[in-house]
Amino acid sequence: MLEFNIFHLMPWSGAYAIYFFVIGIAAAMFFFSALSWYRPEFQTIRTQSFNISFILLAAGGLLLIGDLTQPLRFLNIMNPAYLNFSSPLAWGGLNLISFGIVSILYFLVMRKNDEGNSRKLAVVGALLALGLPIYTGFDLTVHQNRPVWNTPLMPVLFVALSLLSGAAVATFIAKGEKLLVMLRRFMLWSAGAVAAMLVSLLGTTAYGGSGSELTFMFMTSGSLGAIFVGLGILAGTVAPIAVLLTNSGKQQGGMMLAGALLLVGGMALRYSILISGQIVQTYY
Amino acid sequence: MSELRISSIETRGVPGKKRYAMVIDLRRCIGCDACMVACKAEFDVPLGVFRTWVPYKVIGKYPTVRKMFLPRLCNHCDDPPCVRSCPVGATYKVDDGGFVLQHYDRCIGCKACMASCPYNARFMLPKHRTYTDITRVVDKCTFCHHRVTQGLVPACVQTCIGRSRIFGDMNDPSSEVAYLVNTMPTQVLRPEEGTKPHVFYIGADRNHTEIGRKIYDPQSAIELERDVYNRNHS
Repeated sequence: MLEFNIFHLMPWSGAYAIYFFVIGIAAAMFFFSALSWYRPEFQTIRTQSFNISFILLAAGGLLLIGDLTQPLRFLNIMNPAYLNFSSPLAWGGLNLISFGIVSILYFLVMRKNDEGNSRKLAVVGALLALGLPIYTGFDLTVHQNRPVWNTPLMPVLFVALSLLSGAAVATFIAKGEKLLVMLRRFMLWSAGAVAAMLVSLLGTTAYGGSGSELTFMFMTSGSLGAIFVGLGILAGTVAPIAVLLTNSGKQQGGMMLAGALLLVGGMALRYSILISGQIVQTYY
Repeated sequence: MSELRISSIETRGVPGKKRYAMVIDLRRCIGCDACMVACKAEFDVPLGVFRTWVPYKVIGKYPTVRKMFLPRLCNHCDDPPCVRSCPVGATYKVDDGGFVLQHYDRCIGCKACMASCPYNARFMLPKHRTYTDITRVVDKCTFCHHRVTQGLVPACVQTCIGRSRIFGDMNDPSSEVAYLVNTMPTQVLRPEEGTKPHVFYIGADRNHTEIGRKIYDPQSAIELERDVYNRNHS
């Protein structure tokens, strides 16, 4: 703002982007495991995708707790006397804990081959899994003073990024022609949705106020340009769509290449969106 | 004025309730930084972080140039976004007085309040402090709640040599702050955020208080200092 100012830190560091990435994949992998009870082509990855989801959920939870400056006080988020329901973080904390509990129950009934209860828990877990990228998007959306974050697109974008990253991971463990066809569709449609939302996001950011306009400059030609445009848009969204549309994109090898690119892009987009909303504010 | 009250948390014009505010007359600020020093002494504010700070900008064209100071602090908003965003209710607004304060023992350090504050008024306390054992939680200006409830004015107001800072109850029509806000052209920072700040400025120019395009290409010396600061405080 001024020629002399004190330094302000970005409140949320890159570690949050890793959390968003990990938790997004965990949610989508649970969704694929749950889908296997209703779509036979997903049956071959039922257990594996659940295992990946559970490991990533544990890793994400630890990452989130580790990023608090008072890690042991994460229990406060479960204290009904303290909970503030106007905060999306409070809802997110409850969603995360409920999803963890349902995941454990789902694992137990799945091991007993109890199909009836597995199907029910699969539906409940899938709904809670859907809540994870939605709440992470809301975490950013509610900050009305932050360019890029403060748009209703954010929760939808995070759902699409979650599906895209999950499908990309699933291509590495997928077996069977029908499953590959489904995963290719998931990747193409979610990557297409992400691309459309990015166009809209960039447009509204470029035409915003002075803070938004400066943020647009940082994201495209500034310090985040290589990550956002280079890795996020070109290498991580446009290139994999192009690969998937070719003939080799219909084979597992090509899909794995597209999947790897989508994972790089998914991480780069989450990182640059998280950081870009904070750069300009550090100068105020 | 009550027709402007929208959120139930707001205390504007509520009978029997105090609504403390500060008026900062920029025409009288000489940039001596005594307010920063008084605040640091009052609260043992650690190095590198500030409850109140005084940035400046050189404006005009030679030979008619001057330094414009803009004392900053928590705006104790009538509708504070930090209170909404805290997941564990560690940030709260005092009903009578409108102080926005912290429960240090509840804060989990998620920094959601820092992300939601449009004024950068919040900071993370470092791991080590000299005299105080409150560490690694978010801290901010309290409008010197402990002094005001004893009938005193905040430390920065007490020490201001140019009498640039004036403090009082906005709900009391005979107070000096109410008189100044009602009779002088005053500005608040970022009114578009809808936070309804309780820090009013006389003589603030939006062209100088907002972020300029210069930050896109900042001076390398400043960025070097910023990198060192980030390394020491992250």
